[in-house]
Amino acid sequence: MGVIFESVVMAIKAILQNKTRAFLTMLGIIIGILSVSLMGTAISGIDQVFESSIEGMGQDVLYVQKYPWFMVNDEWWEYRNRPEIKEEYAEQILERASSIAFATPSSSRSDEVKYKKNTVEGVEINGTTWQEAYISALKLESGRFFSEPESRYGSRVIVIGYDIKTALFPNEDPLGKEITIRGNKFRVIGVIAQQGKFLGLMSMDNIVIVPLKAFQMLYGRRRGISISVKPKDGIPVEQAKEELTFIMRGLRKLKPRDENDFAINQQEAFRQQFANIRFAIRAVGLGITALSLIVGGIGIMNIMFVSVRERTKEIGIRKALGAKKSIILFQFLSEAVIISLIGGIIGILLTVGLVGVVQRFFVANLSFGLVVISLLVSILTGVLSGIIPANQAARLNPIEAIRYE
Amino acid sequence: MALLALTNVTKVYQVGAVAVHALRGIDLMVEKNEYVSIMGPSGSGKSTLMNVIGCLDTPTSGTYILDGKTVHDDNIGQNGNGKLSEDELAFIRNQKIGFVFQTFNLLPRITALHNVELPLIYAGIHKKERIEMAKEALRKVNLEDRMHHQPNELSGGQRQRVAIARALVNNPSILLADEPTGNLDSVTSREIMKLMDKLHDEGNTIILVTHETEIAQHAHRIVHLLDGKIDRDETTPKGNS
Ligand SMILES: Nc1ncnc2c1ncn2[C@@H]1O[C@H](COP(=O)(O)OP(=O)(O)OP(=O)(O)O)[C@@H](O)[C@H]1O
Ligand SMILES: [Mg+2]
Repeated sequence: MGVIFESVVMAIKAILQNKTRAFLTMLGIIIGILSVSLMGTAISGIDQVFESSIEGMGQDVLYVQKYPWFMVNDEWWEYRNRPEIKEEYAEQILERASSIAFATPSSSRSDEVKYKKNTVEGVEINGTTWQEAYISALKLESGRFFSEPESRYGSRVIVIGYDIKTALFPNEDPLGKEITIRGNKFRVIGVIAQQGKFLGLMSMDNIVIVPLKAFQMLYGRRRGISISVKPKDGIPVEQAKEELTFIMRGLRKLKPRDENDFAINQQEAFRQQFANIRFAIRAVGLGITALSLIVGGIGIMNIMFVSVRERTKEIGIRKALGAKKSIILFQFLSEAVIISLIGGIIGILLTVGLVGVVQRFFVANLSFGLVVISLLVSILTGVLSGIIPANQAARLNPIEAIRYE
Repeated sequence: MALLALTNVTKVYQVGAVAVHALRGIDLMVEKNEYVSIMGPSGSGKSTLMNVIGCLDTPTSGTYILDGKTVHDDNIGQNGNGKLSEDELAFIRNQKIGFVFQTFNLLPRITALHNVELPLIYAGIHKKERIEMAKEALRKVNLEDRMHHQPNELSGGQRQRVAIARALVNNPSILLADEPTGNLDSVTSREIMKLMDKLHDEGNTIILVTHETEIAQHAHRIVHLLDGKIDRDETTPKGNS
């Protein structure tokens, strides 16, 4: 016990005698630990945000659209010539399908909405039908969604998102009030419960929903249509997707060999894309981590060789006084580990600071597990880079070491 | 039985193709509480002999028994423990040997007390007892008031007294001093030799290497080395009285 304590104390003293040198040696470890803990934090933050974001998208909703959600740049030119998705498809799909419960056309664009003196710009105006309430499982904070007749007649009714409510009606109940879009008045009949930000960045509450007919009266009928489709309860999405593809090919009169001239998008595509992003972050983070830990480890090894050389005489004296090999080994190994560990701790503290800043814009939490892993990694780096120099010290011949000047 | 017994001990250093015969068959017995000086011209093998006796080095051939323990014996094979491992030698150095060097060899940047504590740390003695023993050893060399000083704050004589306290602190079987006064002026040398005499009177066994006849005369016996062999082994006037 006494020996171990004394070795650690001597190791700390040795480090303190060369603070600058030790600090410079630590830089690699600091950067390595910083990148491993930042990467971990980023991934867990993104995971968390992603899950809560796509929750609102509906697990099993399929979207029939002209373009797939994710494509490579030059593919766009091919998809461009596809025929537009027609509003009527929704009803035709419902008529023919056995696995589908709801199908609604929707369209959207960005515009400004006004109430008295208040204006909100860049609001996502959605035109859809009564079925949307069932498809995306919208939660309303107050009021109701529009009904089938209101859908059919294109009544001037509107359901508003949480951001719109707070911006236009800071002090009053919005229900029954009339807001203006492009000079047309819409009566507020419902308020959507707060949904939060998509990936923590884009607000999903900055929207309003109106009947598609009313939307087309404002903006014309030529805007791109997307058809949202929800399978019947108990039917797997993939089965519904198969039937939907078959029906769409029928509607488009495609021959068996023709490729689909439409896209069926689903939440899964986001997951795919997201998995790629995660993988990229992980690969880059691990690469930087590994590289800086290797550089840092080599730095420590180098400094430990110097330290062993500088203290050759000391090692000889200690051996003459009865220090065993293992004790000398431990003394130098603990010096390497302490340098590395301090580097790791500094790296973690820097991460805590950075995460604190990032937290203002983005969900980010440094987990306890990650801190433990970071500390273990820095200890391991210290051991690996210290073992060779420490072993060299332990094997020194005592007489030669004592004579060394 | 003799405290230490060397029989036909040789030491050969291989330097490239050249074999340097530092010791060429030493037979030496030293009894408990003897006071021995080793003299001889430079290169005659004095330090080599001290290193072998102190278990810092091992003989090339021959037999060495220290305090009843076989340190080296050619006739016993490796498995019969005729040759001790490095850690076993370290243990013997820690328990049975006290070294005093010409250049003091204190660790810099730690206090005199801490220096004296080192052998006790390696012996696994608990802190409280350790500090008491270290203080007691410093008291014996009259340096209790300087125990919190670092070596660079001490004079040469004081440093050597710290080194002697460190050599004594474990109650070794034998005190080995290789030219302990080599780096000191004559006044300080006399002080150190007075201390050595006192330690001998207290029952310690001492072997010291020196070039100076005056210093050697403090001992009761002088062993003269020449070319790696014992040339003469004489008793001093002190030894006769
Ligand atoms: N490590 C070594 N490698 C090779 N030769 C050595 C080594 N150590 C000592 N020698 C040789 O062994 C011989 C005896 O050396 P030693 O140091 O024992 O002499 P010494 O009597 O102590 O001399 P001095 O009075 O100068 O200290 C010398 O010839 C020396 O060169
Ligand atoms: Mg010598």
